[in-house]
Amino acid sequence: MKALLVRAILAAVAAVAFSPASAQNNTTALPPYVPAYEPRTVDERGQWMEADEDERTLRDSPLVIRDEALNAYVKRVLCSTVGQDRCQGVRIYIVEVPALNASMRPNGAMVVWTGLLLRVRSEAELGAVLGHEFAHFELRHTLNAFKRARSTTDVLAWLSVLGGISNTDTSMNRLLLIGSFYRFSRDQEKEADLLSLKYLAASSYPTIAASQIWQHMMEEADATAAGRKQKSHHRYSAGFFDDHPTDLNRAVYLAEAASKAKGGNDPATAGYQAGIAKFLPLFLADQIKLNDFGGTEYLLGQLASAAGWTGDLLFARAEMYRMRGNPRDLVSAAQFYSDAIKAGYTAPEARRGLGLSLMRSGQVTEAKSALTEYLRLRPDASDAKAIAALLAY
Amino acid sequence: MNKTAVTLSLAVLLATNASANSLISPGPQSKIARSSLSANPSTEWNRLSERGGKNVEIWTIDGDELNKVTFFGGVPVGEPLLKEADKKHAPLPRVTANMLITDIPAILESSYRIQLHTMRMSIDNQEPTTVGGHKGIKFTYSFVREDDEVERKGEAVGAFVGDRLYLVTYEAPAINFFDKDVDKFRQLVTTLKL
Amino acid sequence: MLRWMCSGLAAVALLFAVPAIAQEKTGNKPGFSLRPGTVHIILMRPTIKVGAQSTGGMFEPNADWTAQARQNIAQALNEAQTSMGNQVTTYEEGESGEGPVASQYAHLFGALADSVIEYQFFRGNRLPTKVRKGTFDWSIGSGVTNLKSLAGADYALFINTYDAYGSTGRKALQIVGLLGGIPVTSGVHWGHAGLIDLKTGELVWLNADRQMGGDVRTPEGAQKRVRELLEGFPGRPTQPAVQASK
Repeated sequence: MKALLVRAILAAVAAVAFSPASAQNNTTALPPYVPAYEPRTVDERGQWMEADEDERTLRDSPLVIRDEALNAYVKRVLCSTVGQDRCQGVRIYIVEVPALNASMRPNGAMVVWTGLLLRVRSEAELGAVLGHEFAHFELRHTLNAFKRARSTTDVLAWLSVLGGISNTDTSMNRLLLIGSFYRFSRDQEKEADLLSLKYLAASSYPTIAASQIWQHMMEEADATAAGRKQKSHHRYSAGFFDDHPTDLNRAVYLAEAASKAKGGNDPATAGYQAGIAKFLPLFLADQIKLNDFGGTEYLLGQLASAAGWTGDLLFARAEMYRMRGNPRDLVSAAQFYSDAIKAGYTAPEARRGLGLSLMRSGQVTEAKSALTEYLRLRPDASDAKAIAALLAY
Repeated sequence: MNKTAVTLSLAVLLATNASANSLISPGPQSKIARSSLSANPSTEWNRLSERGGKNVEIWTIDGDELNKVTFFGGVPVGEPLLKEADKKHAPLPRVTANMLITDIPAILESSYRIQLHTMRMSIDNQEPTTVGGHKGIKFTYSFVREDDEVERKGEAVGAFVGDRLYLVTYEAPAINFFDKDVDKFRQLVTTLKL
Repeated sequence: MLRWMCSGLAAVALLFAVPAIAQEKTGNKPGFSLRPGTVHIILMRPTIKVGAQSTGGMFEPNADWTAQARQNIAQALNEAQTSMGNQVTTYEEGESGEGPVASQYAHLFGALADSVIEYQFFRGNRLPTKVRKGTFDWSIGSGVTNLKSLAGADYALFINTYDAYGSTGRKALQIVGLLGGIPVTSGVHWGHAGLIDLKTGELVWLNADRQMGGDVRTPEGAQKRVRELLEGFPGRPTQPAVQASK
């Protein structure tokens, strides 16, 4: 019901034609970019230097995915979004955390979580998020945020707030200093959103992509909640303590801004699929271990609607059902493993999963056949002896 | 929520935790983790008063960040391994019926990823073993917890008795500590009864 | 107001899990002492974590604040190095490639120091095997003696600080608590400074404080923090630099 309401709002906004009145406020012109951002004030130098120290932590971290091709791909999408002048000198660090986030340091290092790479559906959407982070950097928000933090705040003012203390942080957002993000104000978040839209408008990507990400995030949240038999809420306005505008709010104003400047035509969906293909199995494996059945089903379904049910997607789905492990799930899992194999999935782990699902369902003969095949294909598996023990039961 | 209920709850919370950590001397120990688990360590340990779950008991030599033996005493179907920190937003996987021994490392990994935010965890080696006379699994693993970023290694044995999961893990930093006391853990494992 | 207190009840539960008793202690290996001008100490890169404490007491890292704290603490340590009584140099990875390993040792030191304060110093949670008279048996292992980048030094000085500033929500809860007569702690500020003997890996001196002063996001605060961390540092000359002649 909520989803329908959201779609109606967005459709209405998207239908608004470009009106002469708003032409005075030229929202499409990009501000001139000062290349080679050098720290000027003491504050900036301090931040820049310590961001270098921070980058050393990133360099040494076991969580960073050091794949040249993936790195180059993400960098290319950033450059296609913000332009060569702006993206030169940016270093990309891809961190293996299964949630949607990205952030940028004052010295030009950009951190991207793998959960983001799993959730966007096109280069346009990826570019929108990377562009948003770059916008904070270009607008020098980090420095401003720190300056504000140093001044005293009036504690008593908070008492006048009615209603509860809202906390929209998901548990993932408390993770990892190396992946942590700078806290900006809601106004700054909106500022960055709108500058990012200007980047997109000047690129070959359609600007509506920025709004679509938040739509998907709301849908995913709905799916997660439904999977846990919980209610999902999408509020239009943020609570007092929230540091981002709500997903719904963002989806709406970004759609509105997008209607005024359409950008390019090609979101490069195929390009995105090709770009992350090698790592999709890893991203899915991390996602499945989160015990979020509803949200993961939603993500798999979306990936399948774009690319069809490939062997990778069917295998991931099978793993997820097997993990939940209710009697009906195990039957479904066995079916999905078989489908994956039929769809050309060659990794022996599909036989393993099939065998384990069948074994738990009581189909012992078929189970042993599948497990034997797994051991034949992967004789030096780290669990070979344990699987062999199951064959002897 | 009426005023009395609030006052009472607060009173309960204000009561200080009186129980202390206790010494485990060499010799037979029974009813570990308030379950049928028993062991016969040949060296001394400390038992932590803070448990971490209904069916959980923790032993240590130098402190649980440096060496930690966790006993999971008969987790039944429908229960998670650990007490959930955030039941609503981060529910943990539950023990389900007809689980296989190879599902034991998987449920531990998933629980750690969700609750302890261990983003890098790998199950390294899995082989069959007997635990207290029951067919079970022995496995090794490595992980990094986000709160202290120390690289740790783990070794564990687990088995099902009926539909209840029994699991005993040993975890310590990879540098120096894991090797220092792993033999004491292995000795302990040979004496386990479920 | 009451509704707010109810939703904050879970938060109240969490803060009472951490005792508010002051915990600051210095310990050393029995018999350990250091004379000024006799040894070479390497100052390892401090591990510094600064963030916010959410209403419910959870730690939320803040890259902004941590970056600033790093800068300030590095500066303050720089200034302190010359007055420590012995030669102190800053750790340099150089060509050794041992950066990640050194970083692991720094994190491990944090876990070690944490364990000393929790299980030996802190009265409420001691381990029976750790409170026997005269014991101070803590080590990061002899593997540290093999690090090339530490060759030539006698001791390594490790420093950790951890600051979780009460968030707006947490502070609001504190106000509510004050009005209701319930003390609510806001903010957590811990630090350790310790000396490791590089011949054996043993911890020979530790200064641990769970209620540190100084706002590390400012230069003055960092100076205060470093002063507290190095309080009682062994081998520091206790006589004034210039002795009046008789």
